[in-house]
Parts: sequence; C-alpha cells; structure tokens
Amino acid sequence: MTLARELLALLFFASAVIFGIGGIIGLFRFPDPYSRLQAGSLCGTTAIFSIFIGALLLSTSLAVAARVVVIMIFFLVSAPTGSHIVARFAWNSGLQPWKPPLSRRSGYTDRQDEP
Amino acid sequence: MDTSRLWSLIRFIITAIALLAVWLLFSGSLEPFSLIIGIVGALVIASLTYNEFIAQHDASLRSFLPRPFALAAFSFILVLYLYQSSWFMLLAVLSGRVNPRIVHFRTRLRSDLARMVLSNSITFTPGTITLDLNDDHLTVHWFFCTTSHARAAGDAVKGRMEKHLRKVWL
Repeated sequence: MTLARELLALLFFASAVIFGIGGIIGLFRFPDPYSRLQAGSLCGTTAIFSIFIGALLLSTSLAVAARVVVIMIFFLVSAPTGSHIVARFAWNSGLQPWKPPLSRRSGYTDRQDEP
Repeated sequence: MDTSRLWSLIRFIITAIALLAVWLLFSGSLEPFSLIIGIVGALVIASLTYNEFIAQHDASLRSFLPRPFALAAFSFILVLYLYQSSWFMLLAVLSGRVNPRIVHFRTRLRSDLARMVLSNSITFTPGTITLDLNDDHLTVHWFFCTTSHARAAGDAVKGRMEKHLRKVWL
C-alpha cells in the first residue's frame, strides 16, 4: 500500500517536471506576451498541481490532507486570475496578438484577413 | 424587519459561517480558547466585510451557494480538462503549430460568481486566456483558434464548461 502510494506520487512528480520544462520552453519559444502567458501559465499550473496531488498522496494524516486541499483550491483561484490580470493589461494597452506564418498554423484559417 | 435588512442579516450569517469553517480547518483544534477566538474573529471580520463577500444585488441564494455534489463533480472534471489541455499545450510548444486569435462571445450564466468561475476555468482549459469580462460578454485570446464566428467559437471554448457550471450555480 505504501509502496503503491509512493510510486503514484513519484509518477505525479515526474509529470510535474515534464510539464514544467514544457512551460519554460514555451515561455522562451513564442514571441509575444499572450502566447508566452498561455504556455507559461497553463503548463506551470499543471506542474504545481501535480506536485500538490503527489503531496496529497504522501500526506500522513487527514488534517494535513485537508490543508493541502485548501491550498489547491486557493491556487486554482489565484493562478488564472494572475495570468488574466497580465493579459488584460496587455489587451488594454492596445497590443495585437502575434500571428504565425500560414505554413506554421494549426487548424482552419480565415484567408480574407491576411494583408 | 424589511427585506433589505433581512438580506443583510442572511449575508452576514453566511459570511461568519464560512470564516469560522476556514478557521476550524486551519487551527485544527476544538479547545475552548481557540474556539472563542475563532468565533469572535469571524463575527468581527464578517461585520466588516459581508458587503464585499456577497454583493447586495445577488438576489437569490442559488446565485452564490453551490450545489455541493455538482461542485465536487465540476472540480474533478476541471482537473481532468486541466491535464488534457496542458498535454495539448505541451505538444504545441514542441511542434510550434499554433493559431492565436482573439475571439468574442457571450455566456448564458447569470450570477456574477458563476461568470467569474467560468472565465477563470476557461483561462486554463482549452488553451485560452480571458482578456475581459464585461457583464455577459467575454473577450478571449484563443491559442488553437479554428473559427472566428462568435457562436461557434463560444461553443468550442466554453460549451462543455458552461454545461457543467449551470448545474452548480444559476
């Protein structure tokens, strides 16, 4: 039982490392603030959330587990609010989003709004 | 006692109960001294802040008190979606194939709290960030844009989220 819990926690910690590295790569790879925020905030949130789930699995008593759950709820509220504030400031200051060249786009694109 | 006074009293009681619950959770003891400090603190802070905690124009209890089982189901679904969209984001970061675009749409949710939770949860779920929330009108930066049509974009970004949220709040 303890071994299974520790292995599962290890799995979550490993996924936290993978998502964290992905977020950092995205942060340096994309050119404009919105895209950087997307990569950084989403992958960062998932990384920290994975660490919390691992801590929840390793917690020794119910009181500790309840506190970890409260921290998770606070984090779930505060993390998107923080990235929203930065994005809202960029939007209100009139920054236009970056558009990748047509060959590098995913999905459907509206051709008529190309210059 | 007129209606607005009664409504203030109800809001005050709900705020005090919420504060006391958080105090009990964090102190983790039922000794008389800690309990008295918790009750006095909850009453004082609730009398100062109940107007901020629950706005006066929230006209019904359903608009801010969640249904507990629907809320638990919603948070579980939210975490699943968080992992799914983070996986897609990881693939997009490695391949570099994205299509960022700004889209506008409206939401059908009516209470302030439900709209706030919707805009917060679509800030991480399908690779979107809420730029602005103005009454029921959302401005969203969408990372994997497939359409600029408002209704179709709304369905694609918030459709499944809103469906679950409508069961939790009004």
